[in-house]
Amino acid sequence: MPSSASSLLLLLLSLAAPPAEVEGLTDRAFQQAAALAAPAVVRIDTVGGREQLEPGMVSSGATTGLLVSPDGYLVSSAFHFVSQPSSILVTLFDGRRLAARQIATDRQRMITLLKVEAERLPTPIAAPKESFRVGQWAIALGRTFEAESPSVSVGIVSALNRVWGKAIQTDAKVSPVNYGGPLIDIEGRVLGVLAPLSPHESGDTAGVEWYDSGIGFAVPLVDILSVVDQLKTGDDLLPGLLGVTFKGKDLIQGEPLIDRVRFGSPAEQAGLKPGDRLTALDGSPITRMAQLRHILGAKYAGESLRCEVLRDKQTLEVDLILAGELPPFTPAFLGILPSRNPGDSGAAVRFVWPDSPAAIAGLKSKDVIEQVQGIDVATPAELADQLGRLRVDAVVKLRVRRGDKSAELTASLVLPPTALPTDIPAPAPFGVQDRPEGTKTGRLMETLAGHDREYWLYIPENYRPDQPHALVVFLHPSGNPSEQGALAAWRAECERRSIILLAPRVEGRGGWSPNDQEFINDAIKHVREEYTVAGDRIAVLGMGNAAPVAAVLAFRQPDLIRGLALIDSPPLGRVPENSPERRLQIYSRARGASIEAAKWTQAVSELRKAGYPAVLSRSDEEAGAYPTPESNAELVRWVDSLDRL
Amino acid sequence: MRQRLWTIAGEVCRVGSLGPWGLLSVLFIGSLGSGQLSAQSISETIEDVSPKVVKIFGAGGRKNLYDYGSGFLVSPQGHIVTVWSHILDGDAVTVVLHDGRRFTGQILGAEPPLDLAIVKIDGEDLPHFDLTRDVGEAGPGATVLAFSNVFKVATGDEPVSVIHGVVAARTKLSASRGVFEAPYSGPIYVVDSVTNNSGAAGGVLTTRDGRLLGMLGKELRNNVTHTWLNYVVPISELQTPIEEMITGKFKPRPSEDDEAKVTVRRFSPRDFGLVMVPDVVSRTPAYVDRVVPGSAAEAAGLKTDDLVVFVGERLVPSCRVLLEEFGRLEPGDPLTLVVRRGDRLESVQLTTPRNSPRNDVTTDSP
Repeated sequence: MPSSASSLLLLLLSLAAPPAEVEGLTDRAFQQAAALAAPAVVRIDTVGGREQLEPGMVSSGATTGLLVSPDGYLVSSAFHFVSQPSSILVTLFDGRRLAARQIATDRQRMITLLKVEAERLPTPIAAPKESFRVGQWAIALGRTFEAESPSVSVGIVSALNRVWGKAIQTDAKVSPVNYGGPLIDIEGRVLGVLAPLSPHESGDTAGVEWYDSGIGFAVPLVDILSVVDQLKTGDDLLPGLLGVTFKGKDLIQGEPLIDRVRFGSPAEQAGLKPGDRLTALDGSPITRMAQLRHILGAKYAGESLRCEVLRDKQTLEVDLILAGELPPFTPAFLGILPSRNPGDSGAAVRFVWPDSPAAIAGLKSKDVIEQVQGIDVATPAELADQLGRLRVDAVVKLRVRRGDKSAELTASLVLPPTALPTDIPAPAPFGVQDRPEGTKTGRLMETLAGHDREYWLYIPENYRPDQPHALVVFLHPSGNPSEQGALAAWRAECERRSIILLAPRVEGRGGWSPNDQEFINDAIKHVREEYTVAGDRIAVLGMGNAAPVAAVLAFRQPDLIRGLALIDSPPLGRVPENSPERRLQIYSRARGASIEAAKWTQAVSELRKAGYPAVLSRSDEEAGAYPTPESNAELVRWVDSLDRL
Repeated sequence: MRQRLWTIAGEVCRVGSLGPWGLLSVLFIGSLGSGQLSAQSISETIEDVSPKVVKIFGAGGRKNLYDYGSGFLVSPQGHIVTVWSHILDGDAVTVVLHDGRRFTGQILGAEPPLDLAIVKIDGEDLPHFDLTRDVGEAGPGATVLAFSNVFKVATGDEPVSVIHGVVAARTKLSASRGVFEAPYSGPIYVVDSVTNNSGAAGGVLTTRDGRLLGMLGKELRNNVTHTWLNYVVPISELQTPIEEMITGKFKPRPSEDDEAKVTVRRFSPRDFGLVMVPDVVSRTPAYVDRVVPGSAAEAAGLKTDDLVVFVGERLVPSCRVLLEEFGRLEPGDPLTLVVRRGDRLESVQLTTPRNSPRNDVTTDSP
């Protein structure tokens, strides 16, 4: 069992009541190990770069890198290069400063390869995977402080094969101070390269919130070295995508039963169909979603995958090549707002969008859609599910009941609308249930238990629990609570259209940071527990410098947030591509004479390219104060049509 | 002094320049055998150090302001070193020793730029750190112990809490760059454990064998990365003012902050014949837009599209920082610029003009 007799011995001795000699030896061993690895650890500074999607958490200070070849290749955590700096500088252990070029990024493991022009550089010794043991000493090194030797944090290897088989977990302190630096063993060999990672999400900044928490990750250096030659070609390595979604969403319980097959995906090309059950991948049996993630977690785009599926009691085997990108999923637009009244039978139409495919096909409000492509739909949710399976250019047959007559209509679906109708009538109230005693309404000021932080709420005075309400989470710009303005713009519409307004507050000059996500989520959770909120109409509204945190909330939580509205700030940054599981719609309002029009247009067109329905609205109104009720009316209509189909 | 602090770092550099990996294994084994081992175990150290650290209770207690802190004894008569904070806002504080003895402490002196204060209680034969003897130094990777009444866990006749970690780095707190908002700027130890939390400031960091390394700092956040920094002010920085305050010879130093405020921006890139690109976004890289013909910049070889990446030793992430650095120059100062030209870095020497700078430098301000 013991990989290295000396390190295990030290560990055992130091866990028992350790004599001073052993403590001294342990210390000395840490320092020697650090000294051994130090020459390959470099400092990286960046200059310039795009404005950040997430203020604060995107590292804009120095970061660390690890040399991997004597001729100047080095690796670092991709985290630091999110902002696409215009210039990268590397400071070697001996103080030499060199200009660096970014070569390519492994987007599966979030490691970036860089190159400096130099020769005979020191390279580290990579610890072989067979030597990895949970419980062994692990020392995290960084070179971001102004100091001559790397910074050191000591811990142990907490687990192996974490984050879907990609990373070593350690309790050494891992943070922007040492991202990109090595995690070394007691002999000074490199176990892995420190990087923020999360098993629950992917993306440039996933896992950053765990900094210094005792949960840190390092991507094994041996794995990185095995792909360095591929990265040297300059092409990014992408996670391998199959292009299917599954019925079971839960990783532990969920069964690998195919729900949808994405258009133009490897799965579609290989002939996989909805209803197929995956039984094995590359020869490993699969019964749960988590097993599938483990196998795909190690696969790159371009690699082959052998899938065994069960269809109609027959086992089929197909080989496919995983893709790096899928054609973005753009939801097809029919042009109706479904009725929200559970008393209506079937999928009833509340409103028909002017000039939409539905209007052209002759649909009218109060019609009830009974069938889509010959499949019965009994509720608006079933209608939405069937429409979601169609391509944006599909021609769809609808069976529609009007009064006591039924008719077949044909609609040619189109891309989502880029503007809102000038009028959307408020839904007719339904339900007669009385408000229970003690339900508070109107403008409320509350403190969220467990966070000791304040938020204000507007609950319509005509609130009834049987009426599902839209929820707008308003994030004010820091230093400008905008409460009066927001309340004036929303109050009447909240009453008319059953909308709840929730406004968490931020104090201090730092403003919003991604750390506030938990507080905001808990506030949303609290409101949903107290009031009836429609799960498909929760929108987050970020104004000014609250826009980045609003974007993070929305893009990271597709299950929770269905609308992202931004005022006075364009939707910047890399966004994940839209997929059938995301139903996010985006509204962006550019105000003021000095707006950088090109930047907004570019940002919105990138969102549309990624498949998101996005509305861009411009006005000459001065930025700063919350928009007037007249100016806010379009945003209100957008919120009230988040459930459109 | 400085040389001594960096023995470990020195070793690293020497090893590196010798030719990286071959010789190291020899050194590795060699040092393990010949290393100086301390005679005291961690348990013995904690027993020895705990009585020297005290709990301090004072002003505060209202919203977000805790009313407790930590300090340490440096004389048998009851001189206590602690951090300068709102807890000392009243005239007197309550000091509780490890054995529950309770004293009223008077504030003897304070040096806000060092975040340092001395509290005096009346006692005899109190356990204490002898600043002439019980002090030490440590390098990255060395095991350290932090003693403080963090979160007021200890009450009455209990010793303070001990947190174990290693020295992560020896570096400097550079308050001037807006990254950290701390009155103190100077050398620090950074610790890899969360040693700095409510009430911990004023506690001590010691070596494994109980030698005093420094005083735990306040909670401090990096404004760039939003991460918390666990730092300790080395005792070597505090020793002289502590002794002077105890002996009554202390004179407050002029605040560097006030000095900085009266400094006007004297020079701008134009004084050297450099026209930078317009500073339009928050992180506009400092590209040279134009070099004025016949100027010092032209003579030094600077060119259009050069990216200025260092002014002296300071990294220039944006035009704004470049203007700040030029603003600090004094007439006659040598000026080294490092520019990136294509994939190469070029170093350029200039001299700040001796004559009075132009008066319209504000046109270059962001």
